[in-house]
Amino acid sequence: MLKQLIVSIFFLGLITVGTAYAHTPLCSCYDNGDGTVTCEGGFSDGSSASGVEMRVQAKDRKVLIQGKMDEDSEYTFDKPASGYTVVFDAGEGHRIEVNGKEITE
Amino acid sequence: MKRLTFTLTLLAVMALTAPAFAHFQMIYTPEAALVKGGKIPLALVFTHLFEAGHTMDMGKPEQFFVIRSRGENAPKKIDLLNKLNPITWTSLTNSGAAWETTYSARGGDHTFCLIPDPYWEEGDGFYIKQNTKVIINVGGEPGAWMEPVGIPTEIVPLCKPYDRWTGNVFQGKVLFNGKPVPGAEIEIEYMNHKPLLDKKAFAKKAAAEAPQDAFVLQTIFADDNGVFTFGIPKDGWWGFAALDLDPDYTHKGKKCSRDAVIWIKAVDMK
Repeated sequence: MLKQLIVSIFFLGLITVGTAYAHTPLCSCYDNGDGTVTCEGGFSDGSSASGVEMRVQAKDRKVLIQGKMDEDSEYTFDKPASGYTVVFDAGEGHRIEVNGKEITE
Repeated sequence: MKRLTFTLTLLAVMALTAPAFAHFQMIYTPEAALVKGGKIPLALVFTHLFEAGHTMDMGKPEQFFVIRSRGENAPKKIDLLNKLNPITWTSLTNSGAAWETTYSARGGDHTFCLIPDPYWEEGDGFYIKQNTKVIINVGGEPGAWMEPVGIPTEIVPLCKPYDRWTGNVFQGKVLFNGKPVPGAEIEIEYMNHKPLLDKKAFAKKAAAEAPQDAFVLQTIFADDNGVFTFGIPKDGWWGFAALDLDPDYTHKGKKCSRDAVIWIKAVDMK
């Protein structure tokens, strides 16, 4: 009985962690030239990244701005004055960090 | 008299041995699969591709636009006609009127479509109008590359045209007014001379040598569903032109061959 329960819990675990993103996450950011930056997220199979958590962090990893990818899988924020990193966070193993220095038009 | 006979003989020999010349409408940009977005150059050149030969004068195109699509987002059409600048393109034998522009590409698929002004081909005695498509991708996230754009003559790719390794096959479906064209004749040529955008000219050096003229212009036919398959033997750009898809079509009272062209770029596995 206990063994069965453990097996069931194991499978339940598989279901909850294994579903959403069995593909490569993608995130590219562009300087809009007007003091804002737009990041485009998605997955290599073309599925949407709408709702994925986005963070803009300072060098000390302090969160400066936080939000979510919109319905077009885009996230626009005001460009921070000093060095920053953008984090696309679709969960463990599906996190992308983009260095602000590499963001150009 | 002797001279006349010689001239006639020479002309006859030339006519018999003239290689198969195929017209190819190019929409050229160096890369089909870009890692990062940014400004990309585009050149519209109407030429004889494999030998970088006679380049025809292009008129102002009727339409030139791009459809941008990324993931599940609805595709967006952006008109580029008024962004075109006239240039003169130099081939290995002449120069001709062509067009160029630059485009800011962000992530996803970008399907460039050209509806050119019909070209009067004196040698054939008819007009040529090659509606042309090229699909590029930025960053690897796919969009609507497999969807018909809806132009009158069109080749729809059945495999991603920007992800082909050398040795893969390429499959496409030939459409006229959205319907498959059974048995469509397709001419295929390799971009054998690299376009040098800074010089607005083809490189003199050829990448491949044809052992015989039949290899310059390859011909295949679509099946009963308008689908064709081609094995890609070499890396680089390949052009596919489905010919005369609307046999009754005329322009200014003359016959006009209404063709559909698509470009793909294959990459070596290294």
